[in-house]
Amino acid sequence: MSIRRISAIVIRHLYMWPRSMERLMGSFGWPILEIIIWGLTMSYFQNSLFHNFSLLSIILGSLIMWQIIARTQTETSIIFLDEIWNKNLINIFSSPLTKGEFLISIIVLNLIKIFFTILSLSLIGFTFYKFNLIASFGFYLPFLLFNLFLTGWSVGFFVIGMILRFGYKIQELAWAIVLFIQPFSCVYYPVSSLPVWARYISMLFPSSYLFEEMRNILSNQTVNPNNLYASFTLNIIYLSLSIWFFSSMFEKGREYGRLVKLN
Amino acid sequence: MAVLEVKNLVKKFGAFTAVNNISFDLKEGEILGFLGPNGAGKTTTIDMLLGLTTPTSGSMNFFGLPFEENRVSILKKMNFSASYINMPWILTVKENLYTFARLYEVDNYKEKVEKLMEEFQMTNLRDKLTNDLSSGQLTKLYLCKAFINNPKLLLLDEPTAFLDPDIADVIRKLILARVKKEKMSILFTSHNMAEVTEICDRVTFLSKGKIIAEDTPEELAQKIKFCKVRLSFAEGNEKVKTLLDNYKYNYVANNKETVISLDEYNVGQLLGRLSLAKLKYSQITIDKPTLEDFFIKVAREKI
Repeated sequence: MSIRRISAIVIRHLYMWPRSMERLMGSFGWPILEIIIWGLTMSYFQNSLFHNFSLLSIILGSLIMWQIIARTQTETSIIFLDEIWNKNLINIFSSPLTKGEFLISIIVLNLIKIFFTILSLSLIGFTFYKFNLIASFGFYLPFLLFNLFLTGWSVGFFVIGMILRFGYKIQELAWAIVLFIQPFSCVYYPVSSLPVWARYISMLFPSSYLFEEMRNILSNQTVNPNNLYASFTLNIIYLSLSIWFFSSMFEKGREYGRLVKLN
Repeated sequence: MAVLEVKNLVKKFGAFTAVNNISFDLKEGEILGFLGPNGAGKTTTIDMLLGLTTPTSGSMNFFGLPFEENRVSILKKMNFSASYINMPWILTVKENLYTFARLYEVDNYKEKVEKLMEEFQMTNLRDKLTNDLSSGQLTKLYLCKAFINNPKLLLLDEPTAFLDPDIADVIRKLILARVKKEKMSILFTSHNMAEVTEICDRVTFLSKGKIIAEDTPEELAQKIKFCKVRLSFAEGNEKVKTLLDNYKYNYVANNKETVISLDEYNVGQLLGRLSLAKLKYSQITIDKPTLEDFFIKVAREKI
């Protein structure tokens, strides 16, 4: 494992970040736009309909937390796709860079970029709606964030594995897969509001336990540790499976010549 | 010691055999031309040598070590450039080279990058976006990347394709100067036979995944026994055509010249027949067989 090789990939993508309008919009533009629109809408509902319930805090908290999963997953997939779009995949995988180092560089890049996304969303939440992320979640915040990242990486590594297996034709998955995850994650509504059959499916999603507990913390200032353990356990299982899947598809890609054809 | 030793290498994609039991080696400081028609298996072999594709069977030893077990340490001593790769277009020349210097763990990499850019006359392009470079400048950038870690073994897959002859000549000279300086070994593919003849010490010829010839470029060219006699006639060439047709020569004639392909031992006989028929030519050129002739023969006959 070489920190220099990991930093090479991290810095290569950081060079590009401020110059690419698409990446900047992904990190800041769309998340900020969403928090402003949702914030204004919920402010209106809060003031006109609900007075004893912090609906605004729940929606803003959900929105910021959801952005961590969505951005982590999309960024993870796009870092890989970007090497394909630039015909650079052969260059980097014919260098001494290992599969593990590539995945670690993706994780480091995510942590750097999403830190700035969360920071900007938190500042806007606080400035416009007096929503304080740190005060709202207290010492549960690091645990929640860590689990959200784990979910994002699990899905992201799975998507890279799928691209290695099926090629360009499924690159849309990098953006579309969150649309499948979001309804069962119960981001903006409790699990109990789902139909019974869907509740069973949501139990397979680590994110559903996190959003449930996020609402619990904001409305009741209590937490059910069993839900946090369940989320963490599922995340570890899925992350291990997704890394195994990526590694298998990478090796299959070498065997069938798909890695070269992707370039 | 052989820098690279390939033994009985096979690559199958389903029922199709892209590389069929090939063995070759590459010595220190040697430039080996790796030639063959499209689809001969050259690029598949290079992909296997870079670890991008796994062989179906056979062995590849680099610096005396097997590849899979020593991938990282071997790739640190190798590098690669091809006409079909690219680099992130939104990064500047300097940023791209810094990235690859870090990937290859080059010490004092900023100094190294500056020296390489100077050597390849790229210094004035250091802050230019890769997207804004011309084909020649891009090729130089890819070569800077290929030399960034002072590789002991360099794989160059058609590095001068798409370049005009002037820039291609400059690139060849830069490669040769580097090889002399660093004593590196190069596996070189190209469809430009003059280029291969100029820079390669030895040539391995592939066709349909098999090695069908191995020799120096000059020796391979000599395996072609025919040559081309170019004649310009002062008067009309109808009589010439009649004579050539009568003797069943293989020829092509236009207003300027008549080109006759024949076994080089029969050139004297041809000239004798022209003299007897009192056909006077104003100019004569005899083209000796080249590596290109060998290439065309192999490609057409599908040996």
